[in-house]
Amino acid sequence: MSFRSSITIVASPRPRVGKTLVARLLTDFHLSEKRKVVAFDLNAGERTLSQFLPQQTVAASVRDVNGQMALFDRLVTGDDTTKVIDLGHESYESFFTLAHQIDFTEEARQRSIAVAILFMVTPDQTSVTAYRNLREKFARAMLVPLHNEMLGSSQHRDKYPISGGGALAVKLPTLAPGLRKLIEDPPFSFADSNMGNATDILLDAHIELQRWLRRIYLEFRELDLRLLLADLTSSIRFGS
Amino acid sequence: MARPAVILVGADKGGVGKTTVARTLIDYFGAHQTPTRAFDTEAPRGTLKRFHPDLTEVVDVTSVSDQMKIFDTLGSADAKVTVIDVRAGLLSSTLQALTEIGFLESAKKGQITFAVFHILGPSIASLEEIAETARVVGDANYFLVKNFVNNTTFFEWDPATYNSYFKKIKGAEEITIPKLNEMAYEQVEVASVPFVSFVGNKGPKGEGANYSFVLRGYVRHWLGNVWGEFDKVKLVDLVSPKESNVRQVAS
Repeated sequence: MSFRSSITIVASPRPRVGKTLVARLLTDFHLSEKRKVVAFDLNAGERTLSQFLPQQTVAASVRDVNGQMALFDRLVTGDDTTKVIDLGHESYESFFTLAHQIDFTEEARQRSIAVAILFMVTPDQTSVTAYRNLREKFARAMLVPLHNEMLGSSQHRDKYPISGGGALAVKLPTLAPGLRKLIEDPPFSFADSNMGNATDILLDAHIELQRWLRRIYLEFRELDLRLLLADLTSSIRFGS
Repeated sequence: MARPAVILVGADKGGVGKTTVARTLIDYFGAHQTPTRAFDTEAPRGTLKRFHPDLTEVVDVTSVSDQMKIFDTLGSADAKVTVIDVRAGLLSSTLQALTEIGFLESAKKGQITFAVFHILGPSIASLEEIAETARVVGDANYFLVKNFVNNTTFFEWDPATYNSYFKKIKGAEEITIPKLNEMAYEQVEVASVPFVSFVGNKGPKGEGANYSFVLRGYVRHWLGNVWGEFDKVKLVDLVSPKESNVRQVAS
């Protein structure tokens, strides 16, 4: 079956692994694809995502029922809007416990909304176990390990096996420290062709940044296609 | 002809969630495709009737004509199960009335399946009511229900005291109704539909509704747990020995 829109949850039980950066990139990717996109910021502390993408970001919380309703009821609304969730590590447990309890992925599926979980790969046992639990509990979501090469080269692939149903691993390639510093300074939008403070960026740096971005967008496009056009065999398997 | 079943749902005090339990029972039997009818003795308000209007009749259980309406029709009614929501504080006297009309005798003879769901309140007086009821109930299937649905009710009595009362009734079983999120509960109240309809996002006439997905999920999860308790005490086997098939709660 094909889906009308998607929800991508960028998640890790660990802090400081690059979730917000990935959420930004993903949101900007969808913007570059001329889609309506909303990013949900589930970080308790500083709302970094909204500093970078103020037009697209909505603050969210699963701490109380009102927050839960505001988030999940909106997520399953068939408004043909792509949704990206930056799931802060403090909300990881409560988010997925609730999602499982209310059978979120099934409801989304019934409304032709595809769900993907972009799981940030790290070597610690907590994350490895968390990944395994997600595989068991959310068979209807596409679980995608994301290797952030800025944390080190991807040595732990074997601990993050890819399930069937068209899933794949995504790589976030490294970026030179100088350029990293640049993109971490708000406001900064990848979708903005001038890239914010482009006048301050040397041409070389600009080219390097574009090259990096193109590589990432290629991976996102591949993921996007697989997600939205999930093949019939996988939906039969998961739909039983 | 299969044996009819009567389930009394009662409590000594109001506000312990008796009607809530009666509603979950009606939904449970519905899911097991067991035809059910209900009598609501909370005249004239009839809370149960508000949620299950087609299945429920409001009666005065102390009036002879209404007693006839309930008990004389047990054999002939389409419904296999009759749920009677007994007004708070009237459990003992209702059981007394049943003794007088020979109903308990019929139950003893195996002509009728009779069960009592005694919803417990937090006070010690509630436990004493068990002893009172036990005297009358005899061989009925007796279920003591601890209802936590509306709050984390603090029960005043300690486990030892509770157990000593519990043991007074042969074959008594315990059922625990877990807490349901307040907002979810309230929304169902406002919608005035059965729990399964709320979960299925349906209005009173079966039309599509627009209830919160999150709250529906909370109710589905809770109802599943409640029905799990009914499964545990083999309630379906109690009212009808044949094989039954269960409709999933999430439709």
